[in-house]
Amino acid sequence: MTDASAALSEETGSTRFRKDGRWAALLSRAGLSIAILAVIAYGSAVSPVFFTTGNLVNVMTSMAIIGIVVVGMTFVLVVGGLADLSVPATIACGAILSLALQPMIGPVPAFVAAIGLAGLCGLVSGVLVGYVGINPIIATLGIGTIVLGIVQASVGGVIVYGTNPETAMLVKSRLFGIPTIVLIFLAVALAGNFLLARSWWGRWTFATGGNPKAAEAAAVPVRAVKAGAFVITGLCSGLSGALLGLTLQSARPLVGTGYEFSAITAVVVGGVSIMGGAGSVPRAVAGLVFVQLLTNVMVLQGVRTPVQGLVLGLLIAGAVALDVALRRRGGA
Amino acid sequence: MANWKRRLLVGTLALLASASWAQAKTVCYVTAADAHAYATPANEALEARAKELGIEMITLSQNFDVQTGTEQLGTCIARSVDGIILWPLDPQAYIPGLARAQQAGIPAILINSPMDSQANQFIKSFTGPDVYEEGEMAADSLNGALGGEGSVIIIAGQAGNGTTIGRVGGFVDRLAEIGSKVEVLDTVNADFDQQKALVVSRDLITRFGDKIDGVYANDDTMARGFIDAWKEANPGKPTPPIVGINGQKDAFASIKSGEMHSTIVQSPVEDGRLAIETIAEILDGKEVEARRPIPLTVVTSENVDSVEPAF
Amino acid sequence: MNLGATIVRFRVAVILGLTLLCASLLVPGFLGATTLSLGLDRGATVGLIAIGMTVLLIARQIDLSVGSTFALAGIVAVMLQPSLGIWPAAMAGLIAGAAAGAINGLLVVTFKVNPLVATLATMLIFRSAAHWLTDSQPVPGTDIMLSVSLSKIHLGIFTLRSALFIGAVLLLHVWLTRTVAGRNLFAVGSNAEAAKASGISPGRTVFLGFIFAGLFAGLAGVLQSLTTNTGSPVFGSELLVAVIAAVVVGGTRIEGGRGSALGTLGGVLTIASLTTAMEFQSVPAYVQQVVAGCILILLVVLDRTVRPGPRSHAATGGTH
Repeated sequence: MTDASAALSEETGSTRFRKDGRWAALLSRAGLSIAILAVIAYGSAVSPVFFTTGNLVNVMTSMAIIGIVVVGMTFVLVVGGLADLSVPATIACGAILSLALQPMIGPVPAFVAAIGLAGLCGLVSGVLVGYVGINPIIATLGIGTIVLGIVQASVGGVIVYGTNPETAMLVKSRLFGIPTIVLIFLAVALAGNFLLARSWWGRWTFATGGNPKAAEAAAVPVRAVKAGAFVITGLCSGLSGALLGLTLQSARPLVGTGYEFSAITAVVVGGVSIMGGAGSVPRAVAGLVFVQLLTNVMVLQGVRTPVQGLVLGLLIAGAVALDVALRRRGGA
Repeated sequence: MANWKRRLLVGTLALLASASWAQAKTVCYVTAADAHAYATPANEALEARAKELGIEMITLSQNFDVQTGTEQLGTCIARSVDGIILWPLDPQAYIPGLARAQQAGIPAILINSPMDSQANQFIKSFTGPDVYEEGEMAADSLNGALGGEGSVIIIAGQAGNGTTIGRVGGFVDRLAEIGSKVEVLDTVNADFDQQKALVVSRDLITRFGDKIDGVYANDDTMARGFIDAWKEANPGKPTPPIVGINGQKDAFASIKSGEMHSTIVQSPVEDGRLAIETIAEILDGKEVEARRPIPLTVVTSENVDSVEPAF
Repeated sequence: MNLGATIVRFRVAVILGLTLLCASLLVPGFLGATTLSLGLDRGATVGLIAIGMTVLLIARQIDLSVGSTFALAGIVAVMLQPSLGIWPAAMAGLIAGAAAGAINGLLVVTFKVNPLVATLATMLIFRSAAHWLTDSQPVPGTDIMLSVSLSKIHLGIFTLRSALFIGAVLLLHVWLTRTVAGRNLFAVGSNAEAAKASGISPGRTVFLGFIFAGLFAGLAGVLQSLTTNTGSPVFGSELLVAVIAAVVVGGTRIEGGRGSALGTLGGVLTIASLTTAMEFQSVPAYVQQVVAGCILILLVVLDRTVRPGPRSHAATGGTH
């Protein structure tokens, strides 16, 4: 926000060309808010049920699970780690363990153990990326394949059912009319935002993502910061998977399929560059809100499920192409 | 003495010959997946029965990928096995592979899912449940529960998947066939995933509200997703009649508590066993029927206590 | 030490050799001509796509949409059969593949969208188009017997598909090592700015690279549709990981500027023979996944530790 106003005051009274650039810069910053407002306006116009508390709470509840992954994925993109493709495996890890371990060690330790193990998977990817220097795509692809294979072998593909219905009630309960799961997501997003925008860890993350050599020279532990981003994503996916398991009270090894691409989509639509060094949790969450609202409108309008992919694909390509074009014109 | 010796020799030789004959029977089983709630018990039952029958098995898992499966048919043919059991995931893509098996003189049968009629000339039999028939039975069950009229939604599996095509097709065709006034409001894909079904059901309930008189889910997992969404939106209000397929344990619990109307049970154990027994008969030179079904049971609150859940 | 370095240098060949050795010891009849031709044919689909991917990775690009292009081209080739005839329809399928590649190229070169993001978008778009064209139902071809004859084994070991793959890999090897255009590709991949300064157009190279990758994904898709006599919107959804794994196992760097056609051949053959050998032993698919994942990680770690890349080199130098 502060550098937005700085940019504004700096450009006041410039030539017409610069004014153009200013508008472009403004549009590139406010574009997402405008897009979200446009979807809300369109949704309210075409569907009487869209702009109702019930529907909007539904959208929030539906996005909570993937939203937690989005927060973690933001760190990976900002640190210049491209993407974490092991998300389906770590989600499965979280979902299956949080249910399967319940009878043995109780629901809370099972929950913690599930998240811990998912974080450990993230740590392995992180070490491979940060310390060994392997490309993140390959490292997370490989680790994801291995972890998913082990998870499948350990449960033999059978559905794992929950044994403690109270935990499900807790996750499904509401506080002041807001589902608990949404509150958990908001807490994770706030914590993520604090970590990325206000803490030394966040500064290190931006420095590493923006210019690793300069960061190294400035005594930033770039390797640990890079590895850390994958641990954060692992923990987030584990939490997301554990919550998923508790909500559904059942888990299968393939429960997390597709979540990695959904999370990347949200982050990228939010305008976080895949090249690293820029971005924020609120932007990524705004990207997710936009995608979720759009999907919601499409389902309400009866768009066929496979065709929804077309709209989403055009959206990603369009959003990023526009962003690139505006940034260039805006001189940013 | 010499006579006795010769007799022993002949006897031993005959025994050896029969033993090696029995050993030579190898059957290639191209299964849908080896880590799946339905496929795993079916595979285990099939392999256990094969052991009893003295048949050696090569089990190949397609992991739900048709392309892998078509290539695995090639593996089976190259190993010149004595028979092939194929679990098709697509109504057509395996036909050339089955034709090559026939050229190589290897008898093949289908398990669990049917293929297009073009495939019939290349297979000896099709055993097990029929996903299309399951769709028809679901249509009958839901039509009955609604008294022949009302609006329903279909929560389908993955778009383009063979099971989805059969289960949706059978349902829609059957409704038309019996002249039902049940109208399908919308068909959405939830990929056999509970969470996806939950998310999409929330939107459908918002969109159609009280217009939803009934629900047909392509499997019990997705039916569960709808029930959870319904409970969120309308706490305390009874669910509309919901029909699922598979006969999972939690679906049985839902039927008992009145949250679900019915499910269709197919036993993976019987499915697997019937396939291996059929191929064993073919290998013994017997003629078998072109279609060998396993019993499909519609489970409602009336018989839920007397039927075993499938898994 | 010297021996160790040699082993690491030819690690793909070593791993391939070890796989073949273990397989021939453990699996009876593994080294027979039928088995080999089978393994080759199974590798061919992944291999044809991997050829395009090798070129893209060398140019520091990536294409996540190959699986969707594969399905789309196959569907076009089958759907047009009744109106155009089999071979013209197959040509149309190839053109569809190349067109898909051109769209990727346009997004990346003209609109400057990061290739990872651009092809993630087109992956969704092409898959949707495949569903839309077919109404999510598999489409049958017109001639089953052609499919059967396409799988015939020639010269004792080659199917049409595997012969095309081997031929294309060898041509790619010659192109990459012996022509100016091939060397330019490496230049663009290792340093686009420097390449531009020396008169190479990186944009044009990258654009053509995407068309090339789309064409080969399309070729694999058309062959798949012809051999199965089916065009299906769900084909190819599991291919991407296998393709990237095969190329990377073959020593091509995802960071651009390094790679080889023969390495990709080695990578494809290693993974194909591993799969075939494990299937012959009825090893469950999830165990196969774990083994493939471990080999991928192992080879990439070896690559890193022995020949550190520029970035990690700088990092080592800067440690205090």
